[in-house]
Parts: sequence; structure tokens; C-alpha cells
Amino acid sequence: MGGLQKKKFERGAATNYITRNSARKKLQLSLPDFRRLCILKGVYPHEPKHKKKVNKGSTAPRTFYLLKDIRFLLHEPVVHKFREYKIFVRKLKRAYGKTEWSAVERLKENKPTYKLDHIVKERYPTFIDALRDIDDALCMCFLFSTFARTGKCHVQTIQLCRRLTVEWMNYVITSRALRKVFLSIKGIYYQAEVMGQLITWLVPYQFSHDHPTDVDYRVMATFTELYTTLLGFINFKLYHSLNLVYPPKVHVTMETLSSFLHGCKLFNKLSITGVKLSALSGSLARVVSTEEEEEAKLDQFPAEGEDVEKMEAREKEQKQLEAQKKLFDGLKIFLNREVPRESLAFIIRCFGGQVSWDKSVSIGSTFDVTDETITHQIVDRPNFDKQYINRYYVQPQWVYDCVNAKILLPVEDYFLGVTLPPHLSPFVEEKEGDYVPPEKLRIMALQRGEKPAQEQEEEDDEEEEEDEEEEEGGDDEVDEEEKAEEKNLKKMEEQKSQGKSLQVKVTPGKVRAENPARLEQEEKAEEKRLAIMMMKKKEKYLYDKIMFGKKRKVREANKLAAKRKAHDDAEKTKKKKARK
Amino acid sequence: MASSRRLRRMAASQPGFLTLKPSSDPTDLVGGRRKRVNKNKKKNWNKFSDITDVEEFLEDVRHQERTTGGLLSEKSDDGLFFVDLGQADKAEQKAEPDEGKKRKGKSTRPLRIDLILQGDSCIPPPKDVLAYQKPNAKKLRRIAQKAEQLAAKGVVPRAQKKLLNRRLADRTVKKAVTEANNNPNRDYYDMWAQESKSPADPWYVLQTGKEQVKRPEKLNQKPSALPAVEVIAPGGSYNPDFLSHQALLQEAHEVEVKKKKQEDKLEKQLAVNREDKATAETALREEVEGLIEDEEDEETSPNKEDEEASGAAITVTEKKTERQRKKEKAEKRKEQQQLSVKRQTVQQQQLFQLRSIKAAIKQQEQQTKKRWSKRKEKQEAQKAQPRRLGKLKFQAPDLEVQLRDELAGSLRQLKPEGSILKDRFKSLQKRNLIEPRERAKFRRKLKVKYVEKRAFKEIT
Repeated sequence: MGGLQKKKFERGAATNYITRNSARKKLQLSLPDFRRLCILKGVYPHEPKHKKKVNKGSTAPRTFYLLKDIRFLLHEPVVHKFREYKIFVRKLKRAYGKTEWSAVERLKENKPTYKLDHIVKERYPTFIDALRDIDDALCMCFLFSTFARTGKCHVQTIQLCRRLTVEWMNYVITSRALRKVFLSIKGIYYQAEVMGQLITWLVPYQFSHDHPTDVDYRVMATFTELYTTLLGFINFKLYHSLNLVYPPKVHVTMETLSSFLHGCKLFNKLSITGVKLSALSGSLARVVSTEEEEEAKLDQFPAEGEDVEKMEAREKEQKQLEAQKKLFDGLKIFLNREVPRESLAFIIRCFGGQVSWDKSVSIGSTFDVTDETITHQIVDRPNFDKQYINRYYVQPQWVYDCVNAKILLPVEDYFLGVTLPPHLSPFVEEKEGDYVPPEKLRIMALQRGEKPAQEQEEEDDEEEEEDEEEEEGGDDEVDEEEKAEEKNLKKMEEQKSQGKSLQVKVTPGKVRAENPARLEQEEKAEEKRLAIMMMKKKEKYLYDKIMFGKKRKVREANKLAAKRKAHDDAEKTKKKKARK
Repeated sequence: MASSRRLRRMAASQPGFLTLKPSSDPTDLVGGRRKRVNKNKKKNWNKFSDITDVEEFLEDVRHQERTTGGLLSEKSDDGLFFVDLGQADKAEQKAEPDEGKKRKGKSTRPLRIDLILQGDSCIPPPKDVLAYQKPNAKKLRRIAQKAEQLAAKGVVPRAQKKLLNRRLADRTVKKAVTEANNNPNRDYYDMWAQESKSPADPWYVLQTGKEQVKRPEKLNQKPSALPAVEVIAPGGSYNPDFLSHQALLQEAHEVEVKKKKQEDKLEKQLAVNREDKATAETALREEVEGLIEDEEDEETSPNKEDEEASGAAITVTEKKTERQRKKEKAEKRKEQQQLSVKRQTVQQQQLFQLRSIKAAIKQQEQQTKKRWSKRKEKQEAQKAQPRRLGKLKFQAPDLEVQLRDELAGSLRQLKPEGSILKDRFKSLQKRNLIEPRERAKFRRKLKVKYVEKRAFKEIT
């Protein structure tokens, strides 16, 4: 009766998955090789929805892969190379064991190698796909390029990573693509906009490595292997998009050449171009030497209503961006030896500034300390003996804060020995009603072109407090006036109800100064009120809910602000006491 | 037979004849008894005439001709012997290498081993018959003609085509293997110059010697919705704003509290219960266990069990009578009728409840919709969560935090917190790119044996 008996685990989810071990056996690879292959090809383990079904009734934790993926791996040409390499290692071991040095040499000469170009193309069929996935590659390459040559990974890999990252930084400098920088306790976060893609990467501080033991270096090296290939091809394409020569070449003037040569004596091993590049101080050679680039302007279309506003906003943004790109234009900045040279040089050059450093710090310096045209000198020590009058001595945070604020901040806060204002994260974007720290408010005011009135802060505390009160009061002004009017009306009504005849008087009219802006505001408020009244019940409910949420946010923000103020006051009193 | 013997004798009597095989001694044949056979039949001549000695002789002659190039007896003495002058020979050998150094023509002289191995046989090699006659010549000729015709048409035979194909592939492979992947001076090119989606992309074939296999669609999806680089909270700035720093500290604190709670819980579960601890009383009871008998308990308990068992066994169902059955049936029918009537009335009543029913349905639908959306939300949230990919669960790394007094005043004094390598590794795990693993523990396979060395002995 009724066909064949259905057997368990012969259809459905159980047939779609394969365990790691059986996949490994199917591919005839050792576990490390299998892992490497999976990373290179972008095949990742998958958690099935119903583990017990897939695991043939067992609930033991296992790593599963999709069967289709593994079948796809079977066709990979690199697998053969892995096998070849395995055999190579075996032969080499044997030769070593037998102390057959000639055989060792011969084998080493014919070491099997493989390339990942085809895998990169396969995983990223278009350039934009690759660009979207570059964050990881950048992080990894920057990380590996800072490794010491201690045998944790191949020296060649470190060198390649260094080359690629330097190329990348030079591209960012030339295209002026950098947008944000954030100095964190972990490392430095950068964000750049390349071809419309926001790219974030993390660079470690120099000399900050303790090698953690719970990290699998082999896995990381495999990722880096893929990412170096990817980043190289992306660099090539990016350089060509800017009409630059790849591999990059540096324009060197006669003055700087001598310093380069001086440096090259020191670092004889490295190639001259590589050294020049890593200095980040020279501009790159172009295929067709056209200095002037056509600046693309936004097309203007006649538009109506909201579109106009949007267009205006966009235009404004564009203008701001243009301004930001030329932030350090015309500045000549000298870096003292105690500041992080590479990071600062990179940022200053990204925004059009000229930068130099002491000859003995690193090669590629373009001018000397004694240069009279230097506008800023970046210093990070409590005091400095020999100071020039015609330049500012500022702490390095000034550069970073300027980039994030998109304007040149006043240098007074960043002078030598001054307690620095906090370095705020540019990656936080406050919504309406969120708490905004006062430092940020100040920067925002500066951006709008207002001058902060807090310069006599320390001299007169009381005054400042009054100011603050006034500021707070400013928001409530409107409400107070309304209240007064209401009071008047109420009085009149009371009088009416009591049956008293109103005192009718004719008084000379006062000319009310009509404030057009104020009127407009009122009109708008009225419109809004009416719109709220016209709402359906359902919509009204929703609206109330949203407003409630907003209010709650504001309340929380106020709370935070109060807390901050209390903290500041406490600090101030502490300071006062200390002064006394 | 007689003739053969004569021949042998003749040869043996010849003055210079030397046999190579000493076994052919004439006395051997005398010892054996002759067999008598009829000689009037040719068949018997062939069968019983002993020609071994003749054949041996001829074989020997042939052997001599083959190896020494002619009969030894005919060779001159100089060809066979040389005078051994031991001392003089050595001197000559010594002198020779000196000469060799000076002479350039030494290399032209053949080596002694070659001279020894050189065959000096006088017998010409046998003729190869196949060199003159071809088997299946007609067939082969026809095949050749056919091939010519095809070649004229431009058709390449299959075997040749195969060879040609293979040669092309080989050449490409050699080109692809050039330099190591991590060569710091390697060159790059425009990979995305031409887009071709067909599997027989010439670039791909050139790179790998294989056609591209279609990549499964699912591989192009990212296993997690998380971004590659998660920027640290604003409190993680090297010179943070007070409140954001406090917020970060709070977060770290909460994590620590959670951890502590779990630890405490575990400790509590592992702790020994006070009631389980032995007191003097319980210890005594244990010692005395079985010595004092509780008679009452023993007697009462089994009795109860017996009663229960007997009661269960006694209940026996009695058979129903016919009347009882009929009655039950009628009752059942009546009940069903009542039920159906009731159902009908309810249905009729429902007609008047339409509005409330509609409302109820609506409510139900709303509820399902709500649940559905909630489930969807949960699924979306799951996408950003690390999955369970192996034996171990993902362990979130410790938050990087610097306390107020650890914070550096300036960039120069900054002490970086945490390791970026670890951060990247954990990020890969968090995004489900690799499964969480533990470093393999070192386990000694063989036992350690302690031996006292002669150089050092422990004083006991």
C-alpha cells in the first residue's frame, strides 16, 4: 500500500547543508587549507534554521556550510595549487632532513605560487562592488603595515601592505577625499568619500603593538592576502580615474631632492620612489600634466516648491564641501618631532596645506624650521624655548578639530600648555532634540559665523551665569508675551462677568513696531496649529505620540545639560579654591 | 649418427680448436647404452638420431663468432694475449694524465669502458622484414588518402585537435605562474576594463586555464548587516567630552555587572548546601544505619501496598443486559438531536450578531498583523547578531575604556588601549565571516618519564 517508505534526512534542509568535516573530505584538503580557501572565495559558514533536522537528529554543535557553495568550491583552480604547495613542503622537509642543500635550493627556486586575480574579479564583478567592500581591506593593510618584522607574518606581506597603504593615502591626498578624522584611544579613524562611497578605516598608533595570543594569525594573513590583491587593483583604477601615473611617481623640486638624497643614504634598502611616496609631501605625476581641473558644477534646473529648497540645500552643502577641501590652503605648517608625523602630514596635505618637518625625523621635508613664512607649528610639549613671533604654536588636536569642524578654529584654545577642549567624535550625528555638548554648540555657532561671547569666561563668573540665564530666557520670550496677553484678556472677561461696564477710554494709540520676521513666525505657528486641529483622530493620536517622544528626548537632553553644568560648576569652584 | 660423430671428431682433431664448454667430453657418450630402433623409416631417423653434439658444436662456433668476432683458433696470438709488464704499465698510467692535461685531443679518444662494450661481432644484424613489407598496406594507404582529402577540406582530425588544445592550455598556465602573491613589487592592471559575463571570459581563461563556473547567488549576500568598521562611541575619544565619557563608563560598568552576576550565580549553584553537610547527628545515624530496626515502618508499609494491589485486581466488569444497551442508545440519539437543534439556533442567533463577529475578526486580523510585524522586526534584528557557527558562542570583546585618571592630557602621552588586531579579528567573527574558535590546547601524547642522570643525583 502506498509507494516507498519515506526516509528521514533524505530531503529538505538536511540535503542543503554539509558539515565542515565532510566538506573538507569532499575537497580533499586539510583543515587549514580548507579554511584558507573558504576565506579567499568568500564562502562562509551558515547557521541552519533547524539544526536538529540538518544534523540528522543530533544536537551536537557543528559548523555547517551550504552544499551548493562547497560544490562551487570544487571547481576552483587554486585548490590544485594548494595541493602542489603541500607536496612542495613535504619535499622540502625531506630535503632538509637529508641535508641535501642543493635539492633545497632547487625546490625553493621552484616554489609553487598562485594568484588571486581571478577570485577578486569573480567576487567583485564591477569596480563599485569592490570599492564598497574596501573598508576591511584598508583596515587590514594599515594594520599589517605597522607590524614589526618579527616573523609573525611574511616580511614581503608587510612591505606590500605598506606600499599599498601609502599609495592609498597619496590618492586620498590628491583627490582631497578625506572628510572626518577621529582620534580614539584605540587608533585613528578616518573617513573619506571616494566616488560617492563613504569609506571608513582605522589606523593604529605607531608602536602600539602587543601581539595578542588569542588571535589566529593564519586566518588574518589569509584575509590580508586577498585584501592586498583587491586594494592593489582598486588603487590602479583610482589612480587612472584621476589621470595619475601608476605605479605613482613624485614630482620633486630641487630643494627637496637634496633632503631626499640625504634620507636615501640612511635608508639604503628602500627604493627611492617608495621613500618619496611614504613621505607624503610631494605631489604625484600625472599622465597628462593638466594642473587645472574643471570643477564640476551642479546643473541648474528650474524647479518648484520643495525641490527648490532641496536644491538650495544641496548647493549649500556643495559649497561647504568645496570650502572644506581648501581648509588649509595657503598655510605652511611645521611639525615638531614629538607629534605623529604621518597622520598629520596626511591630513594637512589632504586639505591643501604645506607641511614639513625636521630633516632628521624623516626624509621628504620640504622646508626648515627657520623658514619665516611658516604660519603654524605643531608642538606637543608643555613649553618651548625658541619661539618665532610670526607663527602660531598649536597642539596637534587643532588640526584634527579643524577638519571635523570644517573651519579654521581659533588657535587660542590650542596654544602651548593650554588645557585642550574635548576632542568630539565627528561620527555622532545628533538629531533634533538630542543632547548636544556645549563644545559642539560652540563649534556650530562658529560655523554659522557667530563670535562666541565666552572670552572673559574666567574673569567674571557671575556675568557669565547671567548671560546663560539670558540665553535660556531667549527661548521662552514668545511664551511669556503670550501669557501676558492672556492675562489681559482674562481680566477683561472677569470684569464683564461681574456686570461692570467697561471703562471706556480713548487713549492715544501707540505705533507698534512691526517686526516682519516675528509676524511671519506667528503666521507659521498659527498655520501649524490649524493643521493640527484639522487632523483626523487617528493621525492626531500618532502626532501626539511623536510629539511626546520628542518632548521626552528634550527632557532627557535638558537633564544631561543640567548635569554637565553642575559638573562644570564643581570644576570651577575647585579651580577657584586652588587659586586661593 | 655416424656422420655426426665423424664431424665432431674431425673438429676435435683440428689443431687449434678450443671448445668453450668443457662438458662435451667424448667419454660421456661411451658410457650410455645405445637404443635399438628401426632405421628403415625416415621418421625414426629424425627421431632417434642424436644430433646434440653437432648442434653444440655449431652453437659454440656461432658463440665464438658472436662474442670474439671469429673463431678463436683462427686468431693470432697477439690478439689473444698480451705480455704483462706490471711495473712499466703503472708508470705509463701515471704519465698519461700529465699528457692529458697538456693535450686537448684527449676527449676525442674513446673511453676504455666503451671499447670493452663495443661489439666486434662479424655477423651482420638480421634483416628487418617489416622494413620492406608492410602489413595492411592497402588499408593504410586508403586511410592516408582519406586524411589527405580531409586536410584539403580543412578538417583537423580529433587527436590532433586535442593536442593543439592542450598545447594552448599549457602555455597559458606557464604564463600565469610568474611571481608570488605577496611580492611587494608586483604590478597591477585594470581588471575591470572590459566586463564580460559569459563563462568563457578570455581573461579568466588566461588566468586560470579554466572556464568560469557560475557563482551561487547566495554567496553574494553578506552574512551580516553590520558595517565592516564600527566606530567607537564618542566617549572613546582620546580627550573625551565629560558626559559621553561617563556614558561609555556606564556601559562598561553594566557589562561588568552582568558578568559578575553570572559568576555569582554559578558560584551559588556550585556551593555545597548546608543541609547536605554532615553534622554529628547525621554522622551517628549513618554509622548506626541498619543496626537498629524500625519495626513499625517495615510492617505498615508493605500492607498498604498489598491492599491497593488486591483492590485493583478485584474490579471485574459485569456484562450489560439488552435493556441497558437499548436505553443507552436511545439516550445517545436524544443527546445528538438536542445538540443539533442547539447548533441551529446558535447559527440563527449569529445572524443578529454579525457586527460583533465582524469586529472580532478584525481584531484577530489586527493581532496577527501585529505579531507578524513583530516577528519581522525580530528577524531584522537577528541579521545584525552573531550566529552560532560552531562549538563556541561568540564572545564580545571587552570594551575599550580609559578611566578618568588614565586619560592622557595630550596626544604625546596617549597610551593606546586594546589591540586593533584583536578588534579586527573579533569583528570578523561578529560578522559571521569566521566561526569563533579557541586556540588548540597543547596536550602531551606521551608520558613523561623522570630519570636520574648520572651527572646529577638527588640526595635522598
